[in-house]
Parts: sequence; C-alpha cells; structure tokens
Amino acid sequence: MHSMAGCAARIDPFHVMPEQVTNKSRRKFNFLDSIEKPTEWFIRLCGWSSIIGIAAIFLFIFKEAAPMLPRLDWLTFFTSPRWIPNPAPGNPASFGALALLAGTFTTTFIALIIAVPVGLGAAVYISEFAKGKVKETLKVVIELLAAIPSIVWGFIGLMVLGPLIKTVFTAAPGSWWGHVMVILHLASAETGAAQGTNLLTGGVILALMSVPVIVSLSEDALRAVPDSFREAALALGANPWETVRRVLFPAARNGLLAACMLGMGRAVGETMAVLLATGHNNRIPAALTDPVRTMTATIAAEMGETVFGDPHYRVLFILGIVLFVITCSINVASDLIIKGVKKANKA
Amino acid sequence: MNNHHSPKRGIHLGFLVAVTLSFALGGCGQKEPPAGGPAGGESSKKIVEIRAKGSDTMIQLATAWAEAYRKVKPNVFVNANGGGTGTGFAALQNNSTDICNASREIKKEESEKVKSVTGKEVKEFVVAYDALAVYTHPSNPIKEISIPELTEIWAEGGNVTKWEQINPAFAGKLTLFGRQNNSGTYDYFREHICGKTADKKQREFRGGISEMNGSSEVVENVGKTPTGLGYSGMGYKTPGVNWLKVSKAKDEPAIEPGADAARSGKYPIARKLYLYTAGEPTGELKDFIEWILSPEGQKIVTKEGFVSPN
Repeated sequence: MHSMAGCAARIDPFHVMPEQVTNKSRRKFNFLDSIEKPTEWFIRLCGWSSIIGIAAIFLFIFKEAAPMLPRLDWLTFFTSPRWIPNPAPGNPASFGALALLAGTFTTTFIALIIAVPVGLGAAVYISEFAKGKVKETLKVVIELLAAIPSIVWGFIGLMVLGPLIKTVFTAAPGSWWGHVMVILHLASAETGAAQGTNLLTGGVILALMSVPVIVSLSEDALRAVPDSFREAALALGANPWETVRRVLFPAARNGLLAACMLGMGRAVGETMAVLLATGHNNRIPAALTDPVRTMTATIAAEMGETVFGDPHYRVLFILGIVLFVITCSINVASDLIIKGVKKANKA
Repeated sequence: MNNHHSPKRGIHLGFLVAVTLSFALGGCGQKEPPAGGPAGGESSKKIVEIRAKGSDTMIQLATAWAEAYRKVKPNVFVNANGGGTGTGFAALQNNSTDICNASREIKKEESEKVKSVTGKEVKEFVVAYDALAVYTHPSNPIKEISIPELTEIWAEGGNVTKWEQINPAFAGKLTLFGRQNNSGTYDYFREHICGKTADKKQREFRGGISEMNGSSEVVENVGKTPTGLGYSGMGYKTPGVNWLKVSKAKDEPAIEPGADAARSGKYPIARKLYLYTAGEPTGELKDFIEWILSPEGQKIVTKEGFVSPN
C-alpha cells in the first residue's frame, strides 16, 4: 500500500486542504493501514477455509467411524443386503449395506441415463443454435432450476411424479401390458408398481436435479471451442449436425465428460429428494419400479435415533466415508479431466 | 400424530427441562435437592421435579403428558426419559426415577429388588393400551388372518410371500409396509409377530419391507397399494384402509380390532402400558398420576395413537 500522504496528494493535488481535514484523513488512513495485515490474513483464511473445511469434515467423519473400522465385518458390509442395525435383544446386529449401495448406484444410473442426453442436448442448443433473447432466457431458467431446494424436488417426486408413474406402470394383472412390463423388468411381478415412490421416481427427480449442472458446465465447454473450428467445419461443407457431432463434441470431449461426472456427483450425494421419492425399502431392485433405499437416505433416516457412540452410529459414519470416497473420486476425476481440456486448448 | 418412539428425544427434553429448572431455581432462589424427587405439595408455588424414565415406546406419550401438565401445574416439571423398560425398573430401584414407564408387567425379581432396596412395594397403574392393527387395501377381499400366518409373512425366512397362500380369494405378491427400525412399534411387532427361531432366538423381519417414518404413513401407503399389508397403531385407522381380524391360531376365532377388544385382552396384538412407582405415590406425584388417569390425560393417550383403558 502507498502511504496516506501520497494518496492524499494524488487525490487532490491542486487544492490546499485545511489543516483539520488533512489531520482527519491522516488518522483515517492510519487506521486502514493498521488493519491492512489482519484483512490480508482474513482473506487468505477465507481462501483456505475450503481446504480446512474439507480436512475437518473428513477428520470428523473418520474419527466417529474409526473405532468401528477394524471391527466391522467388511465382507458382510459389501456383499449382504441384510441391514438389521437394531436387532431384537440377544441377536447380533447385521450391517450388510449391499442393498443400500445398490440403491445409490441404481438411482444414480437411472438419473444419468436421463440427464446426460437431455443435458448435453440442451447445452448444444443453447450454445450453438439459440440466439439472442431465447438463449438468455434459457440460461436464466436453467440457473433457476439449479436453485430449487432438494426438499421441493422430493415433494414433487412424492406428490406429482410418483402418482403419475404409478398410473403408467400399473396394469391389470394378466393384461398384455402387465406381461410386457414384467418381462422388460419395468414393473416387478411383486408390486406391480403399486407404490409411487420407487427407483424410477427417484431417478427422474435426480435427473432433473443434475440437468442444470450438466447443462451449464457443458455449455461452458462448448463455448470454449474456438470459432475457427466451427468456421473450418462449415467451410468444409459440414451441416450443423455434422459440425456438432464431428467437430464440437470431440473438441469439447473432456469438458463434457467432466460436466456429466459432476452431475453424477450431485446425484450420488443427494439426500432429501431420494428420502422422499424412493420408498425407503432395503432391497436390491429387480425392476425399474421397485422401491429402493439409498445410503444417503439411510444416514438421514437413522442418524437422529441412534445412541451416540454405539456400533450403529459408527456404521452410519462408515456409510458416510463410503459416500465421501465416491463423490471425492468423481470430483477429482472430473477436475483432472477439466485440466486436460485447458492443456489441450493451450496447445 | 407421529407415533415415533425415540430415546433421544426424551434425553433432549430432559436436558431442556433440567436447564429450565436450573434457571427457574436460580431466579427464585429456591433450591430443590436434585435427588430429592417430588416433595409433597405443601406450597403450590414450590418448584417440583418429577422424573419419569423407562420404555422407549412410551417416550412420546410421556413427553406429551409432561408438556400438557406444564399448563395444569406450571411449578411441576416432568422430566421424561427413555432408555427402555428394564432401565426404568433399575432406576426405580436406586431411586433415580420417581415413575417407571413400562411397556410390560414388572417381573417378580424386579419388584422384590425394588422392595429390598427402597423398602416399598411397587404400585402399578395401567395408563394405556398399545394395540397394533394389520391394515389392507379396501379392494382386498381377505378379512382375517392368524398370528402364525403373520409370522410367515413378516419374519426373516418366512415362506408366505403371496396373498393366494393365505386365501385363494386374492392373488398377487405381498407388498409390506412397516415402521423404521428404531421405532418402538417396530420392536413390539417384531417381538409379538416374528416369533422365535429353533434355538430360541427372536426372529428378525425379512428384507424388502418398506420402512416408513411415521405410523400414519404406513396406513396411507397401504391405502394406495392394492397388494399392500402394513402394521400400525389402532389409532391410525382411516376410511381409506381395512383392518384384518386377527386370530391367535388358524382354527381360533378371529377378533376384530378395536378399543374394547384391546382392553379385554381378546385381541392378540395388544399390550398394556404401565406406570410403576415405589410405594403409594404422594403429593405432586399422586396429583400427576391422577391427572394422567383423568379424561384430560387420557385424551393425550388417544391423540398419541394408543387406546385408553377407560
């Protein structure tokens, strides 16, 4: 920083200032000077806070889970769907998280099947085809979509989408549509999609939630492709579709992949919406409309009622670690991929 | 109307009450010895703490009583805690509670122990009935079921998965709705319905049951599911569902659920809920228990989804 005298002189070089005013400003500038260092440190701390936060979160989760880590039957944890954390007196607890893992992965998978084509399509349209007002409106609306709280999405799943899916996927027993659905594993023979809250409902809601992430990041990636690429493609006689498919997609490949992975991270970690929309049923789904239960929903539903420090409590934290590891690796992978984009663009 | 039994809530409420109490005491300059319990009602202004501990099934009910009683007698603080019926009886022995909330009758050795330590006979009050009904969709023609059939439906390794195995009048796989694994209703239904394994161990629930967060949620989902079957408190019946008559065994008469059937003990999935005290209650404690048994206290029993003994 410059000294106050220099500043004052530069601000008002041609006026002779009354003595008092100069004194006042002298004190003020001294004060600012004195908080210069603390401010610098404060801002630095703000910058570092995310790292401190991540480290603290990981340490906390790890600390709570640690006593259980060597005692947990890991084989059961990953291979058994038998989740009985509060057994009857005299029975051993069973922490088989296979069905919970299956719930998380199947809902995420359904979400991605829907969100990736829709998200990429929307990004291509916004970045390459939409013009002027349409483009601006679409961008704003998609940002808005990202701002809807997850509990609202869950509520929509429960009250609007669930009943709709139930109507579409419920057929009279023995009807041809019923047979088709059972054969294609759309509706299970067991429930006949009688429950509105199921894997498909959860997946669609998660898709709606990850679409904004995918669209805005993909659009950035497409915009980063230099116009010379488009001009070259058009000059070679490519139509718009060919330009998108043969030139833009390959050029923005890494950015698009990263966008999809971040969308996936959103889907894996989502809690409230899936808690409401998936049916909370600890089973490995056999059909598209079977109810499921995810890891996040399990933590949310059971954490409040566990006894502090008992094995159930600690196993919920282990579920947290598993989720943390999954989302972290997704994010790190997409980060590395984005870095790849930047390098490629520089080259 | 969330019949959601949780030990933690009780602890929180207890903490809140303790904090409030310490502030109140500090403010008035009156001091009540913390282990003293209710000390007569010589002065209605005197601040008194009543400690109630025990069944997690009853924690919601005990908390509701405690909250309502604050309006009746602002100077009486009821500190409701969970921990389990056994914990409650243990606390009664070493005088760390005034009331034990119990979801089962006291065992002989437990009452003897209370007597040998405190020198007083335990006093028993039946305050409510916990009666569960088994609900079905209105379109389901099946009207009755037996306990052994329910065992095979709900217990792990049970062999009934289709409605036609119960009664050929209805076909389709059973869609089961139960409560979340930390609720008292879950515990009670498991204890009474799932039965024991060959080596005398309690059988657990089978996998693939949709676990609902609240009692009314179970009823609501059964009402939306033609093949549904769910268990929940009798107080949660709505016009949108049927409940099944339940028999103890296949050849015994099936009993329609209802308050009278629960009270008479004929209906098989019902149990009494008790309060126990060491010795005849006196003073504020007596007033509190009398209030619980009064219509006002019993209104809360019904509101929490239980059946009133009156």
